Amino acid sequence: MKFLVVDDSATMRRIVVNSLQRIGFTDTVEAADGQEALARFDASIQFVITDWNMPNMSGTDFTRALRTRPEGATVPVLMVTARSVKEDILTAMEAGVNNYIVKPFTPQVLKEKIDALLPAAAA
Amino acid sequence: MRSCRRPQPDGAANAMSTHRTQEVLYETEAALRLVDHGLDGLREERPDSDHVAPTPPSMDGGLSALPAILERANAQILGVLARLRESRAALETTALEKLASTHEKIQEVTSATEDAAINIMDACDRATQMVDELDAIDAEPTPDRERAGTVRGSLRDELFLMMGALQFQDITSQQLAHASSVLVEMEKRLIDIARLFDTRVDTDVFSTRVAAAMPDEQTYDPNATTRDSESRQALADEIFTTVRHNAA
Repeated sequence: MKFLVVDDSATMRRIVVNSLQRIGFTDTVEAADGQEALARFDASIQFVITDWNMPNMSGTDFTRALRTRPEGATVPVLMVTARSVKEDILTAMEAGVNNYIVKPFTPQVLKEKIDALLPAAAA
Repeated sequence: MRSCRRPQPDGAANAMSTHRTQEVLYETEAALRLVDHGLDGLREERPDSDHVAPTPPSMDGGLSALPAILERANAQILGVLARLRESRAALETTALEKLASTHEKIQEVTSATEDAAINIMDACDRATQMVDELDAIDAEPTPDRERAGTVRGSLRDELFLMMGALQFQDITSQQLAHASSVLVEMEKRLIDIARLFDTRVDTDVFSTRVAAAMPDEQTYDPNATTRDSESRQALADEIFTTVRHNAA
């Protein structure tokens, strides 16, 4: 399964990619913001993990744009962000995010959320 | 008090408070100009006391107007004082609150870095003990491979825990970006105030520097925190569950 990991923090991208490797997902593509993620996204990507606050294009704007593309309409999007007020979480849902992880996260939480979305990713 | 410049509208999200403060300061400046003008008029009407002998008030048409001028000046000064009080209140409710929250954020950065450092050091200690344990297993005449495998697994967990602890870097950088944006905003306000009292202050130079120093507000969350991640995650889970349940 191929993952697209989007975060403007190189440290966070590395942590997420290493966490994915640890739970058995070694095929990853990285992007530093929403614009770059849109450019890198193609039909081979089966799962997206994105931050919210990024330059050029935020995670929510990226998700909205992704949902308008045929190959991105149903791909699972997991948002990993420091934002955690109710309004933000609802905004993320409205943008098309499938699940939500609050930073700082544990590898167990990441695994749980990915596992929950795997059937959709495999479909 | 010779120039009177209307504040330019702010485009930033926090423009309301800044704009209101600028408006109050502008009105204050206008009131002070009126006082200045009144005092100029008073100076013109009053003879030069160094060169002309004092004239009895009853004989002097200029001085007879003095009470009225002073009364007007007094009203204007009272207006200025009211404006200054309002200006001070506006600064207190916006600037001071923001500075207080910024101070808290910086304190949190300190504690978050310390917590992360302690977690990493603890993990290092445990990892070192595990390496020693692996050495001891290797030194045995018949090394217990199963036990060594378990220790290696635990060692990997510790190394992974160290990496996870580095998440503080992302959050603290957002907190520092927020703190930086508040400082830049305060600098901008101080420049606006300085400009009221001295028209020679070159605001363009400051404005350019301030604009360059302002962090991109899209790149950070002002409420970012390393605290209570479990309860915040629980809130997110609850919202997702409830909204999905209601939609079903």
